[in-house]
Amino acid sequence: MASAAETTPRWSRRRGAVWRRAGRGAVPYGLLLPVVAILGAILGYPIYSLVRLSLQHYTLFELIRHKGQYIGLHNFGLVLHDPIFWHTVLRTVIFTITNVGLTIGIGTLIALLLVRVSGWVRILITSGLVLVWAMPPVVAVQVWNWMTNYQNGVLNYILTELHVGNFFHHDWYATPFSQLSMVTTLIVWEGLPFIAITVYAALSQVPGELVEAAEIDGAPAWRVFFDVTMPIIRPVLLILTSLSILWDFGVFTQAYLLIGQPAIQPGNYLMAIYLFEEGYFKNDYGRGAAISILMLAMVATLSVVLVRKMVQAGDVD
Amino acid sequence: MRLRVVVAAVLAVALGVVAATASASGNRQSANKLTVWLQVDAQSGWPDVVAAANQQFQADHPGWTVDVQYQNWGDHLQKFDATLAGGNTPDVIEMGNTEMVKYMAAGAFADISSFKSTFANSDNWLAGLAKSGMYGGKVYGVPYYAGSRVVTYRTDVWKKAGISKPPTSLAQFTSDATKLAVAGKSVKGFSPVYLPGTDWYFAMSFVYDFGGSIATTHAHKWVGNLNSPKSIAGLTAFKNFWLAVSKASKTSNEANPAPYDIFSQGGAGAIVGPGWFSCCTGAKYKAVTAQFVMPSHTAGKAMPGFLGGSDLAVPAPSGNKALAADWIKDFTSTSAEKSLQAKGNIPNATSLLGTSVNERAAARSWFVPAAKHWVDVENGNILRTMLSTILGGKFTVAQAATIASNNITTTLNQP
Amino acid sequence: MWNTVGIGLFAVMVFPIFWMVSTAFKPEDQVNSVTPTWFPGRPTLSHFGAALHKPFFWTDVKNSLIIVSVTVAVAMVLALLAAVALAKYRFSGRKFFIVLVIGIQMLPGVGLIIPLYVALARLHLTDSLTGVIVTYMTFVLPFSVWTLRGFVMGIPKDLEEAAMVDGSSRLGAFVRILLPLVAPGLVATSVFAFITSWNEYILARILLNAQGKQTITIWLSYFLGTSRNTDWGALMAASSLTAIPVVVFFLLVQRRIAFGLTAGAVKA
Repeated sequence: MASAAETTPRWSRRRGAVWRRAGRGAVPYGLLLPVVAILGAILGYPIYSLVRLSLQHYTLFELIRHKGQYIGLHNFGLVLHDPIFWHTVLRTVIFTITNVGLTIGIGTLIALLLVRVSGWVRILITSGLVLVWAMPPVVAVQVWNWMTNYQNGVLNYILTELHVGNFFHHDWYATPFSQLSMVTTLIVWEGLPFIAITVYAALSQVPGELVEAAEIDGAPAWRVFFDVTMPIIRPVLLILTSLSILWDFGVFTQAYLLIGQPAIQPGNYLMAIYLFEEGYFKNDYGRGAAISILMLAMVATLSVVLVRKMVQAGDVD
Repeated sequence: MRLRVVVAAVLAVALGVVAATASASGNRQSANKLTVWLQVDAQSGWPDVVAAANQQFQADHPGWTVDVQYQNWGDHLQKFDATLAGGNTPDVIEMGNTEMVKYMAAGAFADISSFKSTFANSDNWLAGLAKSGMYGGKVYGVPYYAGSRVVTYRTDVWKKAGISKPPTSLAQFTSDATKLAVAGKSVKGFSPVYLPGTDWYFAMSFVYDFGGSIATTHAHKWVGNLNSPKSIAGLTAFKNFWLAVSKASKTSNEANPAPYDIFSQGGAGAIVGPGWFSCCTGAKYKAVTAQFVMPSHTAGKAMPGFLGGSDLAVPAPSGNKALAADWIKDFTSTSAEKSLQAKGNIPNATSLLGTSVNERAAARSWFVPAAKHWVDVENGNILRTMLSTILGGKFTVAQAATIASNNITTTLNQP
Repeated sequence: MWNTVGIGLFAVMVFPIFWMVSTAFKPEDQVNSVTPTWFPGRPTLSHFGAALHKPFFWTDVKNSLIIVSVTVAVAMVLALLAAVALAKYRFSGRKFFIVLVIGIQMLPGVGLIIPLYVALARLHLTDSLTGVIVTYMTFVLPFSVWTLRGFVMGIPKDLEEAAMVDGSSRLGAFVRILLPLVAPGLVATSVFAFITSWNEYILARILLNAQGKQTITIWLSYFLGTSRNTDWGALMAASSLTAIPVVVFFLLVQRRIAFGLTAGAVKA
């Protein structure tokens, strides 16, 4: 990835500059216009509305009359003073770290495995990963529910048959910890294909000779990985990790449907569920908007690394 | 430069599509169409009743069509909220009777008191249902149908257990359960009575049976009442009964898994739920399915059953209020109600009541506090959490009841 | 040895899908059996029949296909244009646009549902496929722009310059050189866009009311919403059916993805 700019003759770069000065300056704006126009048209009002709502007292009563009362930062104050908010943040952070760690970790291992297996096994595994990636989350939740249920879930059956213990009528949704663990298995399962396939592709960029040389020198496998392979796939891993953090922090559908609305309570809230419950279920839209903005701030903080990389990339042109 | 042309063209096409569809859907509003939101129960249970009402309406109002859009219980309120915000609500909406108060208090519905006399049997509406549709002395909701709770049981298992007739008291039911467990022991995990852990509709019946209640009013404020001695007695009776008769998960609810699925797999000697449960007990046990009224702890009496049900309301922003009321009149006519009754529901008027088990059970019933924020107590799962902590032993009955009571007090007293 | 591990991995990963498809073929008594039946003893197509005959199946498939095809097609074109701008041009506000594109992806979707609905209601775009398409653009576009930007940046500059020597404009060069080189990236991004749009549920549910206008994911939810007698066999059959188009689309293009994703991710 040596920059092509270094090998381009000077006269060509100057010529490019001439083109730019010749009034082509409007072109990039023209290219961006459709995207910005659509995003602005559709998201402009909702985002403005969100900010405005967060500063208002806006419940079902106000919703019907299309008019709220301004109460300044009162909503934010309420949320920040709510112990449930802080417990939820902590729980979501732990949930995110666990999910991201497992997805990236296992995904990378799968990618490493893909390098080592024979061609036909590789196709088999890749096809399997593809099937998993294509499964709609709503469907996956149903299958998970089916497999892990108390009455006749196949998971309990298998564990009992394998003599891991007596799992007959084991309730996998008895405590918030086990509920969120079930959600984790689902999220990780759904997230593995993207990570595994991407890292595998990145691994194909690692020069085979370097790896062989290190192995011949007698270095153990983990050393080879960390010293030779890792530095080359690091940019990819960094971006995948940031992406996963972004996605896993905002998990809603799978958790809400798998745990089931009747079992949702402050003890197993995740941030997006907390937002939905407070803002929508309880019809306190002002508070929901305040929570949305706080959540946006948190996600932005967590992915500052990604943002910086995105902005910096391409500056060496 | 060529690219700029391309950009402009794409943008033009995109905007053109938007405009074309916008004008097309804009016209939709002026077409003579009545939009009705019913729950999926109507779609699968009595589509013929819906069709008949539509036919009658269209005959009375030539040029008008009825668009019935079916909703799920899980998200219909969020969708309704969205339409309220956007100003394009349906003309008629089916609401659960526990959901009405919050929306009536917020002014979501039109006052249809003036149409009351046009609705069939309105002088004899079931008291509980009618009350759920009234606020400040005005009528906002028309009773649609009701359902009580009955016990659906396997006559063959009961026969095998040597029980000749259904129990007439809670104590007798509990002792019968021991015999039922023996009779059904060939099925692993068999429940004499399959009861989900957090079915608060059933559990609160015990509270009311012992003279307790969920909440009371005191000087214009709501006070949670589950930690009163009578309520605690009821909850303790529930706990003892549950632990003696059910092998279900202590954290499960009454919809997932569906009790009739357990019944159809042979895992239950009896289940408790709405009368229509008998529809779905499976081909294998169809011939040996029967029902009886859940007995009270007082011998010879029925345990009060939760009177669930639906009302039909007209959202306030609707532009077709009179027509909406007319459609409701067609949909709750005497013949429509009789059809609903035939499908296992309780009709909306006492003059139509029959003697099915379901309807007999409705004679003694209880209902939730008529508070604006009651729906928040339900959605916040306060009662469900209480029940699972009681059954799981995490808290004693008194502890769990106090926690729940305090939560209920806070929730109901919100502004 | 690795092959055995690989096969084992495949079995574990694919098990839930196997379970779903297997249940779809099971006769009614085996669907809910207390002891799990691994393979359908007497395979039946009745569940698929029940699913297909449920009202609006084909209508909703058609709606989903329309929404997804238009979304992906239009989004790819627009995102590519924007990606070119952000990758190959220096102009003031460039960094702002990049941050904007990323920032939009961080918005909590759940929080925007009602304001979005109100915005669309004002434009008379509720209960219309166009409204859904336009809404889906708001999350497909940012990811696509960002991903495609990486691919575009990966195009060697000397190829560009070589084309320009011929006297064609910079943009003409892009069209002739860019498209073939960026094709794998376009394919990869379009697959992601396809999957995300096809499987989307919440927004479609809120925005589409008329039964003739709904998508296949909403159709599926009706199996679960019925409070009277859930038909599990039909639900699994229906689930298998809704997953098919995505799988087909994916398998057709999967070979090009690995190359595409890496080039883009690494450059970014």
